Amino acid sequence: MRKIGSFFFAGALTTGLLFSCTLSYQAQKVQYNDYRIGSGATQDSAMLVLLKPYSDSLSKSMNDVVAVAEMPLEKKQPEGTLGNFLADAMLAMARKSYDMQVDAAFINYGGIRLPSIPAGNITRGKVFELSPFDNLLVVQKVSGRVLQEFLDHTAYKGGWPCSGISMQIKNKKAVNVFINGAPLNESATYTIANNDYVANGGDDCTMLKPIPQLNNGYIFRDAVFDYLAELKKQGKSISAKTENRVSNAE
Amino acid sequence: MQNRRKFIGQSVLATAGILASRTAIAGLQEEGVKKLTILHTNDVHSRLEPFPMDGGRNQGLGGVAARAELIRRIRGEESNVLLLDAGDIFQGTPFFNIYKGEPEMRAMAAMGYDAATMGNHDFDAGLENFATQLQHGNFPLLICNYDFTATPMEHKYQPYKVFRKGGLKIGITGVGIEMAGLVPENLYGNTKYLDPIQKLNETAAMLKNEDACDMIICLSHLGNKYKDNKVSDEVLARETENVDLIIGGHTHTFMDAPAVYKNRSGSDVIVNQVGWAGIMLGRLDFEFAGYKRKNLAKSHTVVVGKKTME
Repeated sequence: MRKIGSFFFAGALTTGLLFSCTLSYQAQKVQYNDYRIGSGATQDSAMLVLLKPYSDSLSKSMNDVVAVAEMPLEKKQPEGTLGNFLADAMLAMARKSYDMQVDAAFINYGGIRLPSIPAGNITRGKVFELSPFDNLLVVQKVSGRVLQEFLDHTAYKGGWPCSGISMQIKNKKAVNVFINGAPLNESATYTIANNDYVANGGDDCTMLKPIPQLNNGYIFRDAVFDYLAELKKQGKSISAKTENRVSNAE
Repeated sequence: MQNRRKFIGQSVLATAGILASRTAIAGLQEEGVKKLTILHTNDVHSRLEPFPMDGGRNQGLGGVAARAELIRRIRGEESNVLLLDAGDIFQGTPFFNIYKGEPEMRAMAAMGYDAATMGNHDFDAGLENFATQLQHGNFPLLICNYDFTATPMEHKYQPYKVFRKGGLKIGITGVGIEMAGLVPENLYGNTKYLDPIQKLNETAAMLKNEDACDMIICLSHLGNKYKDNKVSDEVLARETENVDLIIGGHTHTFMDAPAVYKNRSGSDVIVNQVGWAGIMLGRLDFEFAGYKRKNLAKSHTVVVGKKTME
């Protein structure tokens, strides 16, 4: 009897072990620890070897100094120095390359791809990082009504960099809009510059999509390079200030 | 006979105890506790080299060479590691303007990435380029809510993949953001965006019920959360079932700690995201307990704590 019993229990034990092999697992606990990849961290030498040919070739063209910033420039909403500088560059180069009166220029906030630029030398590569997209600088003639709709959209998005215009944001709408020193007139026609991503309806700018564009194939980043070259020629460095182009009303 | 009766009695009690209490099972199966380390990045945006030492806010931070070394060290210490990315691998430095994604994919392959999903900027040089650059990687791109039928990407991605790590089955899928209004139409072509909540629920249910996965991870490029009701990782966590972990991206969010939400069936969902540009490498160390499948709780909680560094 004893032997049979033991055998029975040994069998049950084996079955139990088999079952334990088909367990499902459920997460009980998680410990987090995100690493900051700091300067001076040990580098993997094989990775440096992999990068070297790309990096060497890029440094030949991307390390030239194309401008000097007098002060650090910051990307900020509703208004920041980096955005104001880029919007001024767009307005100046739109007027120049299309040889016409352009009233205002805009930059979609998400289109500025660096959070800041430090004071000092600005390399060609830095401008690529700031504006990596091959977007074109285009011009559109819009009614005051469409312009108001577009400005409301920029207000809803927290305020976009602009040049030639001032506005306040109230209840996510654009109010107290001034353009060419006068209040926005919904029945007037205005000439505005944007990158073609925005003019084509990007960043949900559907109101601009049906409007014809003047498009001479000028890449916005090239416009920035040309603007910087002109500043350099005049012996000027980059500076920008916030001046209530866009502010929150409340 | 006395001894035998006592033995039976003890066995019955022990068996009853096992059936009655899961904690007892977990206790008896100490060796059954399994560990998994998740390492993750998002929105690296072609930042192959550290930010230059130019006095900028991020100077010296990031870079694939330092990340590769850190990953190698962690793999030496932990046996079960998954390395994942939540998209926007491309665009942001001249590396992408000139080489269109080749060095990014090669670097990720060299680091041993297990899987990634795709972000809106991975389309920046067009669908054809995206499909072409994938040959330089050796890891799957996972996404369950884009339909690439009749595009160059058609056979270049998988909706999900099951990974086996140290006796655990981990199901991984991905979700992408709506491209209309965000990405120029000529760049994404005929790619169709499908409802991420519905597709993720379908995929996760299948991974749970048919593939019997112990854990389901979603790589997401929807964004952490929004002021309006646009779908985000927060919405995804609350509106889905069977997903244990969401590795997020798109909003470049630096989080002090992972967020924890209750999903549709009351279980905890962990959401983590590590900013952008490869400044951070995310690390989550999970511990699992084994249960008989029929004893799995309908809803369960996960204890979240900060790992103390040794």
